[in-house]
Amino acid sequence: MSSQSILRQENIKKNYGWFIVIVICLLPLLKISFDNYITLTIAGLALGMFVFLTASGLSVIFGLMDVLNMAHGAIFAFGGYASYTVLKRLGTLGWVETGTLGQSWASFGLGILAAIIVGVVVGFIIERVIIRQVYGDHLKQILITFGASYVMVEIIKIIWGPNVEPISIPDAFGGSWVLGNIIISKFRIMAIFVGVLVLIVSQLVLKKTKIGIIVRAGVENKEVVQAIGYNINKIFTAVFLVGAALAAIGGAMFSYNKLSVYPMMGEEQFIFAIIVVCIGGMGSIAGSFIGAIMVGLAYNYVAFLLPPLALGIDILLMAIILLIKPKGMMGQ
Amino acid sequence: MINELTPVQQDRLHEQKTKYTNKAFWLQLIFIACLILVPLVIPSFRVTDMVAKIMIMIVLVASYDLILGYTGILSFAHHMFYGIGAYSVALLFYHSSNPSAYLLIAAIIIAVALSFVLSLLLTVFSLRVQAIFFALLSLAVAEFMLILSEQWTSLTKGEDGVNFPLPDLLSSANASGRMVTYYLILVTCLFLFFLLMRFVQSPLGKVLRGIKDNEKRATAMGYKTLRYKIVPIVIGSCIASIAGILYALWLRFVDPVTVFGSALMINILIMVIVGGLGTLWGSICGAVLVYLAQTWLPDLLKVMASVLPPHPIITGLTERWLLYFGIMFVLIIIYFPRGVIGTIQKVINEKKAERLRKGA
Repeated sequence: MSSQSILRQENIKKNYGWFIVIVICLLPLLKISFDNYITLTIAGLALGMFVFLTASGLSVIFGLMDVLNMAHGAIFAFGGYASYTVLKRLGTLGWVETGTLGQSWASFGLGILAAIIVGVVVGFIIERVIIRQVYGDHLKQILITFGASYVMVEIIKIIWGPNVEPISIPDAFGGSWVLGNIIISKFRIMAIFVGVLVLIVSQLVLKKTKIGIIVRAGVENKEVVQAIGYNINKIFTAVFLVGAALAAIGGAMFSYNKLSVYPMMGEEQFIFAIIVVCIGGMGSIAGSFIGAIMVGLAYNYVAFLLPPLALGIDILLMAIILLIKPKGMMGQ
Repeated sequence: MINELTPVQQDRLHEQKTKYTNKAFWLQLIFIACLILVPLVIPSFRVTDMVAKIMIMIVLVASYDLILGYTGILSFAHHMFYGIGAYSVALLFYHSSNPSAYLLIAAIIIAVALSFVLSLLLTVFSLRVQAIFFALLSLAVAEFMLILSEQWTSLTKGEDGVNFPLPDLLSSANASGRMVTYYLILVTCLFLFFLLMRFVQSPLGKVLRGIKDNEKRATAMGYKTLRYKIVPIVIGSCIASIAGILYALWLRFVDPVTVFGSALMINILIMVIVGGLGTLWGSICGAVLVYLAQTWLPDLLKVMASVLPPHPIITGLTERWLLYFGIMFVLIIIYFPRGVIGTIQKVINEKKAERLRKGA
C-alpha cells in the first residue's frame, strides 16, 4: 500500500466520528417535519450535554485510575437533589419564581454551587472509604461501587423521600423562544452552552496546563508518571473529585431541565454514560463529547418515532463502535 | 522411594476412597432427602413455596457462579435470561387456548434458543475487547430488556404482568397439581445442578479455571481463550432461562419488574458472593442465607422501629432494608470476599496443609 492511501485510511478513521454524527443528524429529516426536527435536535443536544458531564468524569477516572465507578450515577442524583434543596429554600425567600434577573442568575448559580460541593464531598467519601479498600482488583471495584450506588440511592430516599419532587426553576430560564412554528426551549440552549464551555475548559486545562499534561500522561502510563516523581494518589483523588463535581453539575442541570428530581435519576442516566464512555473511548473527554452528541441525538430521534426502541438504538451504536474500533473512537 | 506417593497424591487417593462415606456426601444426601420430603411432611404451604423458590434461586445463582466464579467474567444480564425463560412460558400459555405438555416443551426450546443467540451476540460483540465491556454491554442490554418488556404491551401485556393457565397435570385445578410441579422443579434443579458440577470438573472446566487464574499463560499454552470463555457464558445463560421457566411454572404469574428488574440482579450478586465465588455449593448456602435474611430483615426492622422514637429519619432508616443489604454487600466484599463456603474451604485446606506438614 502506498503511503498516501495509508494516510487517507488514517484520516477516515480519525474523522468517521463526525461522519457518523452528521449521518445521525441528517437521517431523521426523511421522516420528521422540519419544525419537530429542530426541537428534537436541540433537546437531543441538551440531553447529550447532561450525559457528557457525567460521562467525561467517568471516562477520565477510568482512563487514569482503571476504576469503573458504578456509583457515578448516584453522585449525579446527589447533585440534582442538592440543587433541589437550595432552590426550595430560595423559593421560600421569593428569589426563584418572582425574583429579578440578578436573583434568578444567583439562584441558578447557587444551585450549581451546592451541587458541586455535595458532589465533591460524596466523591471524597466514596474514594476514601470504598475505592481505597479495593485498589487494583477490577472485579471487586465494580462490585463494591455497584453496592455503594444502591446504598446511596437508599440514603437519598431516606433524606428526601422516595417520590418524584418537582423543582421550579428561575423564571428567566424557563419558557422558550418561538420562531414561527419552532419552539426553542431557553434552558436547553443554556445547557448546550454549559456543555460546550465544560469541553473547552477541560481541553484547555488538559492541553495547556502542567496538571493537564500530568493527567494525560497518567492515562497513558501510570508507572512512568510515578517514576518521574509525582504522587499519583493525590492526582487520582483530584481527578476523582473533579469527575464527581462534573457529574453533580450534570445532575443539577438535568433536574432543571426535567423540572423534577427522583431517586432513580442517577441510575437511568448512568446507562447513557456507560454507552457514551464505550463509544467515545476510555480516558478521552473529547471522545465523550462526540459520543454524547451521538447518543443524545439518536435517542431523541428514535424516541419520537418509536419510543420503546430509543435505548436500543444507543445500544446498537455502542455495539457497532465496539466492533469497528473496540477502544472507542478516541480511546487509548 | 519410587513407590511412595507424594502428599498431594495421598490426599487425592484418600478423597477418592472416601467419596461416598465422608461427611460432605452425607450432608448432601440429607439435604436432598429433606427437599424430597418437605411437601409431604410439612403441612404449611408457605414452607413448600419458600423451598421451591429457594431451589430455583440456587440453580440461578449456581449458573451465575459458573460465569463469575469459575470464568471470572462479570455479567449484569443474568436476570435477563431468567426473564426470557419466564416470559416464553407465560406468553405461550397465555395465548394458547388449550395448554398442554407439548407447549411446555416448545417454550423450553424457544427460551433456550433465544438465550443462546442473545448470549452469543453479547459475548461476540464485547469479549473480544475486554471483559469489562461485556459487563457494561450486559448492563445496558438488561436495562433495555426491562424497558421493552414494560412498553411493548402488545406482546408482553406491559407492567401488569401475565397470568396464565398451566397444563392439567401441573395446574392447581386438581389436588396434586402443585405437588407434581414441585417435584418437577426438584428433579430439574437437581439435574441442572449436577450438570453444572460435572461441567466444572470436566477438562473444559479445568481450562476455565486456568484462564481465570492467568489468561496470558493460558493463551501462551495454546488455548483460544475467547472460545473457552464463550462456552460457560452461553451455558450459564441457557440454564438461567430454564430456571426462569421453572419460576413461571411455579408462580403462574410473570411481571416485568420482578424478572427483568435490577433488584433481582443484585440479589443474585449478593447470594453468589455471600455463598462463595467459585464453589457451586456456595450458591446453595448463599441462596438460603440471603433468602431467609430477606424474609426476616424487614420484620426485624419493624420491631426495631416500634421500639425507637418516631423521628422521620429513623422511620426512614428502618423502612429501607435495601440500605442494609447494600451496606452488608459492601462490607462482605471488603472483609469477607470468599464467602461462607470459600472460607470453610480455606480453613479445611489450611488444616490439611498443617497436618501434612506435621506428618512429613
